[in-house]
Amino acid sequence: MDESFYSRLNQYRSLWVLVFFDLPTETKKDRKIASSFRKKLLDDGFSMFQFSIYMRFCASRENADVHIKRVKKNLPPKGKVGIMCITDKQFGMMELFYGTKVAEKETPSQQLELF
Amino acid sequence: MIKRTLFFGNPAYLSTKNEQLIVSFPDDQPDKTVPIEDIGMVVLENPQITITNGLMGKLVNNKVALVNCNGQHLPDGLLLPLHGHSEQTERIRHQINASQPLRKNLWAQTITAKIQNQGALLAERDIPIQKLRHLAKSVQSGDTGNNEAQAAAYYWQHIFDLPDFNREQKGLPPNNLLNYGYAILRGIIARALVSSGMLPTLGIWHRNKYNAYCLADDIMEPYRPFVDKVVRHMVETKDQIDELDIHLKRELLTIPALDVKIDGQKSPLMVAASRTTNSLFECFAGISRKIIYPEYG
Repeated sequence: MDESFYSRLNQYRSLWVLVFFDLPTETKKDRKIASSFRKKLLDDGFSMFQFSIYMRFCASRENADVHIKRVKKNLPPKGKVGIMCITDKQFGMMELFYGTKVAEKETPSQQLELF
Repeated sequence: MIKRTLFFGNPAYLSTKNEQLIVSFPDDQPDKTVPIEDIGMVVLENPQITITNGLMGKLVNNKVALVNCNGQHLPDGLLLPLHGHSEQTERIRHQINASQPLRKNLWAQTITAKIQNQGALLAERDIPIQKLRHLAKSVQSGDTGNNEAQAAAYYWQHIFDLPDFNREQKGLPPNNLLNYGYAILRGIIARALVSSGMLPTLGIWHRNKYNAYCLADDIMEPYRPFVDKVVRHMVETKDQIDELDIHLKRELLTIPALDVKIDGQKSPLMVAASRTTNSLFECFAGISRKIIYPEYG
C-alpha cells in the first residue's frame, strides 16, 4: 500500500489532550464535586497520568475538540483546571522516569488493535 | 471520525467500567482499556473469550458491529442494535414503501458503480477494459441485461495473475481472503445502514429468504473492488496465503480505514459507507435520486 494510505493517523495529526486540575477538597461537598469531575473524565476515556493529571489520545483535531468541549461542560464551580493539546509527536518525545529508571510511556491507540 | 477496530484472537475477559471496554488477560499482563465510543467494530475470534452482558449492551448502544467467528475463524455472526437511529420507525417505513421502479433504478446505479470500480481496478494493470466500460454504460433499470454477471466473468478472469482462478465461496485461495474481507466489509455496511435508520434485512435487489443482510449485500457491491485491491496486493506480496494467519488478517482488518474517494473527497471507507447509506435513505424518502458511491482511483 502506498504511503498516503496511513497518513490519516500520522503523528502530527493525532493529539493527546491533557487535563490538569487542582480542586478544593475542604468540605464534603467539595470532595463530592471533585470526585464527580474525575469520574466524568474517566467516563470520557481519559486515564490517569499522575494525580490530578489526566490524558486521552484523540485521532484527530475534530475528535479532540469533542472531548475538550465535554470537559468544559463539566467544569466544577471552584478550582483550577487546565486543558492542553499536544501532538503525538511531541508526546512521544517526553522522557519518563520511575526514580532514576527510565519508564515506558503509553503508546497511542491504533486504528486497528489486535489482542 | 474514524472508528477503531478491535480484534481478539487470544483468550481474554472483556468487561466494562466507566464507559470503557476493559480487556483482562489470563496471564499477569495489566488490563487495557478502550473508550467504547471510539470503537466501530469488534471481532471475536477465540473460543476462550468471555464477554459480559453489560459490555455487549454498551457496545450495541454505541452502534458497534460485534462480529463473532466460528471454529474455522470465519465471521459467522453480527450483532447490531435494534434502535440505530432516532427516526428509525419512520425511516424503515420509507424503506419498506419504496416503489419497485425506484428499487430497480437504485440497483442499476449500484451495478454501474460496481462495474466502473471493477474496471478502474483492472485498468491499473493495463488490462483492456472497453468491455467493462461498455457494460457500465448499458446497465438497464433493474439490471435486466444482467450486466453484473457479464462484468464479473471478465473481471475475475483478469484480476489476479492466477491462471485457473475461480471466484467461489469454498474455492481455492485467495477465495479465503476474499471471503474474510467481504465479511468485514459486510459488517461495516450493515453498521452504517443501521446507524442511518434502515433495516439491513430488506434488500433492494437481493431477496434470498435465507439471507439476513440483503440490503447490506446490495450496498456493498461497489465497495467490493476495494477489498479485491487489498487481496490482490496480498496475493502478490505474501509467501503463503493458504492459511488465514494473524498477519493476513491484520492486513484485511485495515479495510475500514482504507482511503476511498467519495463525492470528490478522500475519506476512510468506514466514513464513506455512512455517506452512502445516508444518500440511500434520501432516495427512499424521495429527497434525492442518486446514491453516492465511492469511485475507485
